[in-house]
Amino acid sequence: MRRSLSLSSIKWVEFGRFFLLLVVALVMLVPLLWTFVTSIKPEALTLTYPPRWIPEKITFENYREVWSRASLTADIVFSRCFFNSTFLAIVTVFLTLIVASLAAYAFSRLKFPGRDFIFMVVLSTLIVPGEIILIPLFMICYRLGWINSYNAVIFPGLGGAFGVFLLRQFFLTIPKELEEAARIDGCGSFRILITIILPLSKSALAALAIFTFLGSWNNFVWPFVVLLDGSKMTLPVALAQFLNTGGNWSVYGKIMAAAGIASIPPILIFMFAQRQIISSIAITGLKG
Amino acid sequence: MSVNLKMKNFRYNRSFSVIGNYLYILPFMFFFIVFFAFPVFQGLYISFTEWRVAGQPIYVGLKNYIELFHDRLFYTTLKNTLIYVLEFFPLSVIIPLLLAVAINRYIIGLDFFKFALVAPMVVSVSAVGLIWKWMFNTTFGLINYYLEKVGIHGPNWFMDPKFAMLAIVLTSLWWGIGWNLIIFSAGIKNIPQELYEAAQIDGANRWACFWYITLPNLTQTLLFITVTGLIGSFRVFGQVYVLTNGGPYDSTRTLVFYIYDNGFRYFKMGYASSISWILFIIILGITLLQFKYLKGWGEQQ
Repeated sequence: MRRSLSLSSIKWVEFGRFFLLLVVALVMLVPLLWTFVTSIKPEALTLTYPPRWIPEKITFENYREVWSRASLTADIVFSRCFFNSTFLAIVTVFLTLIVASLAAYAFSRLKFPGRDFIFMVVLSTLIVPGEIILIPLFMICYRLGWINSYNAVIFPGLGGAFGVFLLRQFFLTIPKELEEAARIDGCGSFRILITIILPLSKSALAALAIFTFLGSWNNFVWPFVVLLDGSKMTLPVALAQFLNTGGNWSVYGKIMAAAGIASIPPILIFMFAQRQIISSIAITGLKG
Repeated sequence: MSVNLKMKNFRYNRSFSVIGNYLYILPFMFFFIVFFAFPVFQGLYISFTEWRVAGQPIYVGLKNYIELFHDRLFYTTLKNTLIYVLEFFPLSVIIPLLLAVAINRYIIGLDFFKFALVAPMVVSVSAVGLIWKWMFNTTFGLINYYLEKVGIHGPNWFMDPKFAMLAIVLTSLWWGIGWNLIIFSAGIKNIPQELYEAAQIDGANRWACFWYITLPNLTQTLLFITVTGLIGSFRVFGQVYVLTNGGPYDSTRTLVFYIYDNGFRYFKMGYASSISWILFIIILGITLLQFKYLKGWGEQQ
């Protein structure tokens, strides 16, 4: 009697857990679904009360218009911004992988005076808020003539400590015996990096690549400050400009299509690399 | 003799390779120094100057800081930031912690739950802002529609100073809980399963397991999340810019927003820098306190 009672109470707890999670999950998904639903409605049918989840008519007109015509704001065309975002993200990923893996290799494997001290200094900057360099960095880029230039977005990010930290943590887990054997065979340190360390670190490099891509794609404050020209803007910056240009707030179909264009690539990446991303965030968190 | 020569050669090779080793960190250190370390100190200097974008900075000593002390809008933005942090930060720790505990044990559709809870994290902040501006729309938004269904007349979210910050907090929670959820999940997975099995034999219920096993074993994770999370919440800007633009009546204007305003709307670079240093000092102070007390708490457990 007692046993069956406790069994059924466990079942209820389990059911409660599932039900609560389901509710939370749906609440989390609603804004994304609603964005999509709104974006495929004809503009005239977006402002309805009560809100309609199932559109009377499905159209991709909003996407087409936002994508190709500068109809919403003065000089912002989303296809151009999409190109800017993609280009900047790819270049940033590429350069970050090179710069960070070289430095991480030295900090984890090579010996030189002051190594650990330098690394501690670099690491401690992870708690420094980026806003503190917003003004001076802007002035540096201003003097370099980098306002409205891709350079201002690409290069300052390469001094970030996160990638070096992530890769160093991973390199430290690679057994030293492997490279000692190679060293006896006369391999130089650079060849060891290229032929042994990097091939063994594919998962960490992939994680850093995904992080850097998402970080660059979604970066807001800095590009917002230095990319003022519509033809140079990234998607997040262009989205925020809807306000400044006195954008018409009733064109929600187009606004949601624009938000969709900016959100679809990162969400797709997340869908396909979900486990990879989750495990690498976990690594950073655990070893942080 | 030949041994001596060999030693010399060896030394030469070593010192050469040491210089070679520095070459690996050279590219990174170049960007780190030019675009991070140097600007940090330059920013401190700028905060003691008056600087319009064109022209040279003029040293004015503590003038900016003194001005800040008398600036009512500065106090407003400081207060707004603290309100945001106090509302957002505890929830951004507690909700993901409970969710992480809930999805830790086997459940049907785990991948779906993970996707739903974490996906908002990868949406860029300005898209998040636009999406929620639409969600909170007074007349046609989903939020007020569903509130009406349960008998609550929804407010005019972004026009009402009482509700604007709440809307920003809710938006930020939607955007931010995924990150902490992942980190908590990883921390929970690292707790040895035997501890729970032993506790179950002793007849401990779930609450006791959570309180006496899960939580004490998560002190490292909690330290990481509270330190990074608190820094992050002090930096709130993008959501505010898109959702309310600081309004109504400056009720959502935050410190970083005020830095932006001064630097890039009024071009008062010196003044903006002094605000960012105040922000940094606040963050540094709180971080040090956290390390001191949370570490102590962790060692006690």
